[in-house]
Amino acid sequence: MDLSSNPSPSHPPTDDSSPPPEKRLASLSLRTSDLPPDFAPAGEIEEYGDDDDEEGYLTAVSRVGSISSSAAAWKDDVEDPDVAPPSPSSSGYAGERGTSLASSAGANDDPEPQPDDWPRDKKHLDEDDASASWRKRKKHFFILSNSGKPIYSRYGDEHKLAGFSATLQAIISFVENSGDHIKFVRAGKHQIVFLVKGPIYLVCISCTEESYEGLRGQLELMYGQMLLILTKSVNRCFEKNPKFDMAPLLGGTDTVFLSLIHAFSWNPATFLHAYTCLPLAQSTRQAASAVLQDIADSGVLFALLMCEHKVISLVGAQKATLHPDDIFLLANFILSSESFRTSESFSPICLPRYNSMAFLYAYVHFFDENTYLTLLTARSDAFYDLKDSRSRIQDVLLKANVLVEVQRSLRESALRIEDLPADPSSQSVSPPPQFSQDVHSQLLSSEMAIGGPAGLWHFVYKSIYLDQYVSSEFPLIISKPKQQKRLYKAYQKLYASMHDKATGPHKTQFRRDEDYVLFCWITQDFELYAAFNPLADKSQAIKVCNRVCQWIRDLENEIFVYGESTLSWHLGIEKP
Amino acid sequence: MAANAGNKIRNAKLVLLGDVGAGKSSLVLRFVKGQFVEFQESTIGAAFFSQTLAVNDETVKFEIWDTAGQERYHSLAPMYYRGAAAAIVVYDITNPASFTRAKKWVQELQAQGNSSTVVALAGNKADLLETRQVQIEEAKTYAQENGLFFMETSAKTAINVNDIFYEIAKRLIQGQPAQNPQAGMVLSQRPNERLVSSSSCCS
Ligand SMILES: Nc1nc2c(ncn2[C@@H]2O[C@H](COP(=O)(O)OP(=O)(O)OP(=O)(O)O)[C@@H](O)[C@H]2O)c(=O)[nH]1
Ligand SMILES: [Mg+2]
Repeated sequence: MDLSSNPSPSHPPTDDSSPPPEKRLASLSLRTSDLPPDFAPAGEIEEYGDDDDEEGYLTAVSRVGSISSSAAAWKDDVEDPDVAPPSPSSSGYAGERGTSLASSAGANDDPEPQPDDWPRDKKHLDEDDASASWRKRKKHFFILSNSGKPIYSRYGDEHKLAGFSATLQAIISFVENSGDHIKFVRAGKHQIVFLVKGPIYLVCISCTEESYEGLRGQLELMYGQMLLILTKSVNRCFEKNPKFDMAPLLGGTDTVFLSLIHAFSWNPATFLHAYTCLPLAQSTRQAASAVLQDIADSGVLFALLMCEHKVISLVGAQKATLHPDDIFLLANFILSSESFRTSESFSPICLPRYNSMAFLYAYVHFFDENTYLTLLTARSDAFYDLKDSRSRIQDVLLKANVLVEVQRSLRESALRIEDLPADPSSQSVSPPPQFSQDVHSQLLSSEMAIGGPAGLWHFVYKSIYLDQYVSSEFPLIISKPKQQKRLYKAYQKLYASMHDKATGPHKTQFRRDEDYVLFCWITQDFELYAAFNPLADKSQAIKVCNRVCQWIRDLENEIFVYGESTLSWHLGIEKP
Repeated sequence: MAANAGNKIRNAKLVLLGDVGAGKSSLVLRFVKGQFVEFQESTIGAAFFSQTLAVNDETVKFEIWDTAGQERYHSLAPMYYRGAAAAIVVYDITNPASFTRAKKWVQELQAQGNSSTVVALAGNKADLLETRQVQIEEAKTYAQENGLFFMETSAKTAINVNDIFYEIAKRLIQGQPAQNPQAGMVLSQRPNERLVSSSSCCS
């Protein structure tokens, strides 16, 4: 395989630009020297720093910037003579639907500035595979069709990447056609990971040193996010027309994918496949759960009350259970789309783990800046019922002071390492020192330098039984986003190696590098990931981990949600 | 806008249809909240609003569905416009493609909808005169030929925004008995069949 024989970017990509595989893929051995000169060298990439180009996301969420300038940029791009006009089939989806509406082909030839194009310039629309800056990005994500049509690209304009897409398609199809599957390719510092989902190909090109399993898991979530928006029945479009242009169907969802990619570096839910709860007094959560349960009994499939990415309460009807990945993808979709915050909304949504073929209908309402209710139903005529349910729920939440408690918890309740009870044996008699600051306040300053007890800096605890996790607040020493991302990447690696089927289930792992000492401990009930200062003593660290586990057990009624739906998940349906 | 006691209150389901970026959400937010934002994010599915309007001695309570212009939601539109007492089809006067799209919506409403539905055509972004691409005469003629009432509006400057809703309310009061807005939400098709049927034509 030779990526450098990629059609020269100034070469106009045509509809049939997929090169014959045999020409392009004389050999599958990939040497670094085969890569375009500025794709591989490490030195140039380093100038982008340690993180994987998050600025696209950050500017995108700040949502400022003038439409007119972005629109102008968009127009210029389109009129670039080097860019082939979108193929006529790009309007196929709606256009050929008898009763429905089509954008005329003319409209597609000359796209007008649209508001949904605004984030595109934040994702560096001016770039394509010829740009040095594009090649220096540390982590690319692509979605393309098996005919080589671009569907999504993290950076650059999908339309301008047609040639590059065709190359990726050629690589994948070449291997698929020989009856094999391509999983990944290494090229110097770069790793190219592939995920084939029927007619849809997902590719990640990264030099972030994340594990293959980790990156593949991220591609799975990208695919899940796409299904959440379109369902798997989009595959039928490809059966009808292999050259189907799917990109327009994802119009206006750039922020959703940007926010998802951003989550890969800050949200442990993306690799733990577990969700996290907002800590609340048991009685408060009970009040919320009781009214949600009432609603679920009256025809709602799922009712979720969440605060940002944290679950306050969640119930499902009868045997219906919600997979943690679905919770994560749903929350990402809702939180990244400003549209849900302006009023009540009623929108089709697919939960890929629940049923990837069908839409459910989501009634979404924000009670305040960060607390929102989602009611899911299979009935498309349920809006007014759900609206009534919401006002009943709202009454109860107000009466029980739940929304106020939620805001308080958001401000105060974090698991702080320095609150870790001093001695596990005394815990059986004394009440758990939940969320209190008094413990060790004296020692605090000295411990800041070396970490908490035994040099503990941070931990993530996942309850296997509940599919839920909790993590401690980051200490000062890991207060910068860059440091936090690095720690999560280390956890991800640890997770991958602990769950690597080839080497069997590890029980514990102790790793020391220049940044930290990492400790992982997996039992039938839980997984614990902990980071210590690099000088930490192993036996001390293990003792502290025992204390952490005891602490979590003491707090479990406040930091986890116990509900029928989470139980039935494990008792009833097998986990995919 | 509050209803006076003793007034008759009519519920009226109103739906906004139109191309991505035509300004449907902006018109609704101007009407309901008196706001305008320079950057309004693309709508997902459909957003629901209600607003009451007093017309002479009657009160109309609009239950407004602001639908998404994104292509993937088109096949779901009937769910929102079915049973609507009124519809506003919106286009952007600086974007001829959006006018073409608006005509398709009108056609669809005429084919699928209720003939008593009051349909308004709104040429939005009327503040952007320098970049106008759809002539007012062309739209007027089209509206007359199709029995729509037509206004150019600007969500940004508020020109004609309240007026178009007021005009709809007046016509509803003159023309029809009060409607039950909830009747409009009934949809017989199963949700999963809908995407299937819509995707069946992309060959
Ligand atoms: N100058 C000007 N801009 C407007 C006007 N109305 C809307 N806009 C802008 O046009 C863009 C699109 O407006 P929206 O209200 O989101 O359009 P929409 O029809 O709801 O779009 P979808 O929800 O994607 O279908 C936004 O950036 C608005 O600020 C107007 O009257 N004048
Ligand atoms: Mg809108």
